[in-house]
Amino acid sequence: MKFHWFAEVTYPNVPKDFVESGELNWVKPNPSLFDPRESGEMYRMFIRLMQGADKVGFDGLAVNEHHATGFAMTPSPNLLAASLASTTENAAILVIGNSLALYNPPVRIAEEMAYLDCVSDGRLIAGFVFGTPMDSAFAYGNPPIEVRDRFHEARNLILRAWEEQEPFAFNGKYTKLRYVDILPRPVQKRPPVWVPGSGSVETWDLVIDENYCYGHLSFSGLYSAKPTVDAYWEYCDKRGGDMNPNRMAFTQIVCCAETDAEAEAKYYDAVRYFYRTNTVDPNFAMPPGYSTAKSMRSQNTLMKVGESKLTPEDKARAASGEMSFWEYDEKGFIIAGSPERVSQRLRELSKDLRIGQLIACCHVGDLAEDVAAENTRLMGERVIPTLRDLWSEYPDHWTPETSQKRVAAISPGIARAPEFAK
Amino acid sequence: MTMTMSKVGAYDIRRWSGGSGAPLLYLHGFEQHPGNAPYLQKLASKHKVIAPEHPGYGESTGIEDLEHILDIALHYRQLVEDWGQGPVDVIGHSLGGMFAAEFAAVSPHLVRKLVLVSPYGLWLDTEPAPDPFVLPADAMASAKWHDPSSAGSETSAFTDNDKLELAVFRVKNLGSATKFMWPIPDRGLDRRLRHIKAPTLVVRGEADGLVPASYTDAFAAGIGGAKTESIAAAGHLPMVEQEAAFLKVVEDFLA
Repeated sequence: MKFHWFAEVTYPNVPKDFVESGELNWVKPNPSLFDPRESGEMYRMFIRLMQGADKVGFDGLAVNEHHATGFAMTPSPNLLAASLASTTENAAILVIGNSLALYNPPVRIAEEMAYLDCVSDGRLIAGFVFGTPMDSAFAYGNPPIEVRDRFHEARNLILRAWEEQEPFAFNGKYTKLRYVDILPRPVQKRPPVWVPGSGSVETWDLVIDENYCYGHLSFSGLYSAKPTVDAYWEYCDKRGGDMNPNRMAFTQIVCCAETDAEAEAKYYDAVRYFYRTNTVDPNFAMPPGYSTAKSMRSQNTLMKVGESKLTPEDKARAASGEMSFWEYDEKGFIIAGSPERVSQRLRELSKDLRIGQLIACCHVGDLAEDVAAENTRLMGERVIPTLRDLWSEYPDHWTPETSQKRVAAISPGIARAPEFAK
Repeated sequence: MTMTMSKVGAYDIRRWSGGSGAPLLYLHGFEQHPGNAPYLQKLASKHKVIAPEHPGYGESTGIEDLEHILDIALHYRQLVEDWGQGPVDVIGHSLGGMFAAEFAAVSPHLVRKLVLVSPYGLWLDTEPAPDPFVLPADAMASAKWHDPSSAGSETSAFTDNDKLELAVFRVKNLGSATKFMWPIPDRGLDRRLRHIKAPTLVVRGEADGLVPASYTDAFAAGIGGAKTESIAAAGHLPMVEQEAAFLKVVEDFLA
């Protein structure tokens, strides 16, 4: 089992009455509430935290892309990734991912990702995403009905741009280039590709056909995800796809401390800050055309299944910060407590959802740097080593060979079964 | 009016047609085809009416294949040519007004008279129009109607009771609309208005909060000799809220 350090890069200093005053944190944030110098300090903190994660055995350092939101202030994941690629040694640089539909020409993504692969000496994981509706349809203005089509055209162009040994002409619907011949080229012949989704059948077909790593990236935890992830594996099996758990990624907020009580004391405020400040106008969340009719019908069915374990009321209470710390944990939004408890809960989660790539959110909301650093250290020293046996019988073609070798060289538990395995 | 399904080029297009008299093409608005609407039936008492559903709406196909607004203009050119009635009168409402104007600009020989009702297709920095895709339900109701209780009189091509399928119907329709209206409903029509040669009437409901008066004025200013009519106590759908007044200004103009 692999572990990737991730944080949503949430601006930590919005006013206390941010939610009560009705501020939106997506598409139309109030810029006067986001201080540029505080933003700079925040970015430097995340770089330090991820440099630390690289030293304690994390398999990857994950960065993502969102626009016009203080909830996740990373307009270009490649910028943060570049800071890490040149100052870390071991972990994969997991860019999860670039919103392919938003760039024209998309060769810019091929170039920047190749650059990251060069600087990191072959440690790049290339994540391609559709982006949230707020990003792709609103902040970047794409007609929702075109986002998928633009994504696929860009994906084909980027993959060809990495591989072709001769200049070629690309006559797409959205991008026309008479000469494609990018530099630099990636160190890895073709970096591993990850494509997260939110349950669209069309995305399932893509990752099965291309044998990409799929990802379910939400912050609603096990019960919210389970119907969709189960349905995905069932669909994959039926289609004869690769059932290797190492091609499934999942995000999970982790709050680890020496004791359970300490975890509650240290993380509760930050967890509430995280959920409460993710305020989005519902009219920006689901523009028409972003999902196909086919996916609307299948997601409607899955949603009803999910409600048996996690009701819409639960979700609303989680979003408004009304849950107790341990209720957040019990309902799966977070996994918290001592290293032993976190380890056991992650083992259950991983087996239940058949996940080989855990994207662990080790910083959340306005958490203090020292707490996040301790979280990272406890994960690296006392949680991750106890879970290395999980899925170790399966090959992992979805993380770079270089990062696999380097992380193994510094980590206990890899390639030898811990005493408490199975 | 009779509902049928038939090909226009490679697309399956649903249409409501009926009546006799001078041929009239009716192009519906951005939300949905109105189905067998009372005002279409009344138009059919004096005209031979055809009211096709736009590609990608309801049961009609073809939206994946369309790239540019020219493709829509040529789609309607083909539909009118296939109809074989010679030049036709055209009424285009809302997004259908944008399509009708584009069609009239590239096919002047096929359009006898043109009526644009609360048409989309232009953008004025001096008065940004509301974004119809994000208005909350109550704001949408007050922008769309003079009297929001008129909503009950609006007809639809969707007549089933299934809630999920109604949601799918709406998302297919509005998703298809985003091809031409997102993020701004301007695909360059302002440069082409001068190519419209048909006598044109621009109609708006006085209380239309979706397409402001400055927009219908800009249409009229851009089309040589265009007339304007404003209908009192009506919003974005004057044919629903003030059916008699709507039919009168349209029939007077087409006569």
